[in-house]
Amino acid sequence: MKKFRLYYEEYNRGPFQLLWSHFSRQHTALFGLTGVAILLLLALVTLVLIPQDPYFQDAEYLLLPPSWQADGMVKYPLGTDDLGRDLMSRLMRGSSYTFGLAILAVLGALAGGLLFGALAGMSKGFKSSTFNHLLDLALTIPSLLLAIVIVAVLGPGLTNTIWAIMLALLPQFVHGVRNAIQDQLKQDYVVAYRLDGANDWQILFSVILPNVWEQLILLSTMALSTAILDIAALGFLGLGAQSPTAEWGSMIADSLDSIYLAPWTVALPGLLIFIAVLSVNLVGDGLRVAMKKRREN
Amino acid sequence: MQLLDIRNLTLELETPEGMIRAVDRVNLSLKEGEVRGLVGESGSGKSLIAKAIMGVLHERWRISADRFSWCGEDLMRLPYHKQRKIISRDIAMIYQEPSRSMDPTSSIGEQLSESIPTHLLEGAWWQRANARKKRAIALLHKVGIRDHQAVWHSYPYQLSEGVCQKISIAMAIAKNPKLLIADEPTTALESTTQAQLFRLLASFNQLKGTSILLISHELETVARNTDSLSVLYCGQLVEAGDTETILKDPLHPYTNALIKSVPEFQPELAFKQQLYALHGSIPTLQHLPIGCRLGPRCPNARKECVKTPLPERVQNHHFSCHFPLSKVQ
Amino acid sequence: MSQLLEVKQLSKAYHKAEGMFRSKKIQALLDINFALDSGQTLAVVGETGSGKSTLAKVLVGIEQPEQGEILFGGSPLNCRDYQKTNHLIRYIFQDAARSLSPNQKISDILHAVLRYSTVLNEDQRNDKIANTLKLLGLLNEHGNYYPHMFSGGQLQRVALARALILDPKVLILDEALTALDPSLRAQIVNLLLDLQQKTGLSYILITNQLRLVRHFADQTMVLHQGRCLDYGPTLDVFNQPTHEYSRKLMKSIQF
Repeated sequence: MKKFRLYYEEYNRGPFQLLWSHFSRQHTALFGLTGVAILLLLALVTLVLIPQDPYFQDAEYLLLPPSWQADGMVKYPLGTDDLGRDLMSRLMRGSSYTFGLAILAVLGALAGGLLFGALAGMSKGFKSSTFNHLLDLALTIPSLLLAIVIVAVLGPGLTNTIWAIMLALLPQFVHGVRNAIQDQLKQDYVVAYRLDGANDWQILFSVILPNVWEQLILLSTMALSTAILDIAALGFLGLGAQSPTAEWGSMIADSLDSIYLAPWTVALPGLLIFIAVLSVNLVGDGLRVAMKKRREN
Repeated sequence: MQLLDIRNLTLELETPEGMIRAVDRVNLSLKEGEVRGLVGESGSGKSLIAKAIMGVLHERWRISADRFSWCGEDLMRLPYHKQRKIISRDIAMIYQEPSRSMDPTSSIGEQLSESIPTHLLEGAWWQRANARKKRAIALLHKVGIRDHQAVWHSYPYQLSEGVCQKISIAMAIAKNPKLLIADEPTTALESTTQAQLFRLLASFNQLKGTSILLISHELETVARNTDSLSVLYCGQLVEAGDTETILKDPLHPYTNALIKSVPEFQPELAFKQQLYALHGSIPTLQHLPIGCRLGPRCPNARKECVKTPLPERVQNHHFSCHFPLSKVQ
Repeated sequence: MSQLLEVKQLSKAYHKAEGMFRSKKIQALLDINFALDSGQTLAVVGETGSGKSTLAKVLVGIEQPEQGEILFGGSPLNCRDYQKTNHLIRYIFQDAARSLSPNQKISDILHAVLRYSTVLNEDQRNDKIANTLKLLGLLNEHGNYYPHMFSGGQLQRVALARALILDPKVLILDEALTALDPSLRAQIVNLLLDLQQKTGLSYILITNQLRLVRHFADQTMVLHQGRCLDYGPTLDVFNQPTHEYSRKLMKSIQF
């Protein structure tokens, strides 16, 4: 069926709009994007605005079931945990820790990756190889194990977790940025820019980065899902967020004893971790498919 | 005998903006032993027609034709597997970039041996492998590769484009096809190799009676090597007939422009003089004009040209134009 | 008066690594000499591997020659100093679509060229861009388009605009007309002839299409494996080729 248009107008879209139109045609990608957007909003808003204090322990209502069950109360919509703290506020606060801090870790790794990757990509030969493989030592150990080792050295706590995850993600970013830059340098238009009289830095900022940022976003989404899982895992092991911090992983660990009495205290944080990782992966997949479709056209 | 008889072939594609007619009622016919050229620039649909004949068009395309017969049999009415049997037995195709159209992971010897159909080998079943290899070597010699040892164990990426094209011709003629479709076979080759290739194709046409459908966007290569010619523009058949007649006396403005844009066909053109060129550029698939698709660019265009001209015939010279260049009786 | 562009004894070799410790020397160009006047066209023909692309790259400064000198108006030229030489020699790529960055508008690309290589202010730059686009048959509004919105012929014109905006004297067309359709090629050739007549631009045309060379080029040079086999006025090279290979080449276009 022909799409209805009131005026016959030449509709020419720029590259970013083309990408968005391909992306928005995929329902799963939009679903993922909505999930990410909601979690990001929660992560930012709950720092100021939250229904109830996540750390206030109400001794009267311990292990209260969620409000849709017979024993539940609307005051505590998702119930309480074994110390009487409101589960919903804790889950919302947890999004700033698990999701928000994961984003911070990824941004930090991206910045470091850009620095080393640009130095590696713009130089040639031995110097390039040195910058590229400088941080490869961190690739020898799986990221979770590396984070555990670093936290064991520096001591437990959320800030140390962030540093550990950033270091674990850094080598992938360095490689990714350097490969993307080197791919771009082989293109004809970079040679054309050089012939126009641009020096290396101008080429990097005017030509290479605008063409590369989409691949970097793709790398970041993959790293983000790893970061979320790592923060949650470290929290679960007790090496990351310490109780009473309302981080999803540590919430699961705390409530594990009472799993038979109150399964919702374990299921709900787990469900949210699942939703967070799923949304991020859907966005990454959607972006990859959109980039491929745009290249084909 | 008529090998290929296609009447009013239409290829349409469904898009969010509506149906796009990439090929609009094209007639094509081929006799046995004929070398026919199909000339058209990019967007003319010539590669689509070749793929439609071979039956390898993507499923999104809708093929409709009044007549699409091969050796008298109507291909449109047969079920798919019967179509494929007939096509694979009688028609072969060679492509524009030969090193890309061959399997990069197997050596030339393996690919060539594989392309020889079993029913053409003589001997009992234990002699088959040997017969296959002997026949493959004979094919390589036939296309002009004397030193088959060097080529037998190499991979496509190690050989030059000219040698790869000769090998793909060898693979195509391995099954003794009645029709060989050559889709821009010489654009990726050097001029010396181009000459060799055309001599090769001409020899196959003369010695074995293979018909050849030569598709190209360069008029000069097609003009030298073909008996008859069909000119396409934006999916419409503009002119068809004997090569000599068309070159001497083109009836359609587009053919005229094509001939005049080649300096070689005009000996009286001064050095560094402006070439004759139609203004404007080829319309994209989304913005095809109604009626005669040359309309916006044609110097003779008038009001009647918004209706697609019907094909007319003068002796053996077919053309579709409301106002042809010279009124030939 | 000295010639516009003179090339004397130009040589270039590549070292290809063979195995772990040895390297093979491939002579891409050996002892190339030619001279070009303003308003003239030199055609360089040869098969792949003959060195014609290397010659183009050396002339424009992408590669460094080992020996020989390039003189412009009598004085030697250092082709690597892009900001100076791109006012004299410019280069057109074979595939116009690949030579334009896909995420930039045309006017941004042209502004960037002017910013890197000239000292014009914003208004002067806008004027120059408008004039150049008009010269090539494009509209001012085309400056707001991205490269993927253009057709093939228009992209060639955009590439020409980027090359000509610095008012060079010599333009190197590295197989730029090979991939075009005949009608488009005729239009671009007409445009190039027009520019040559109006502004005295010289062309170095690297191509394999001998028929176009015969119509368009004043001088022709035949290269084979890095060596110059024949060089001279076009009609001489076409009618009386001295080398076996050139003879074979000229005969092939009779087919």
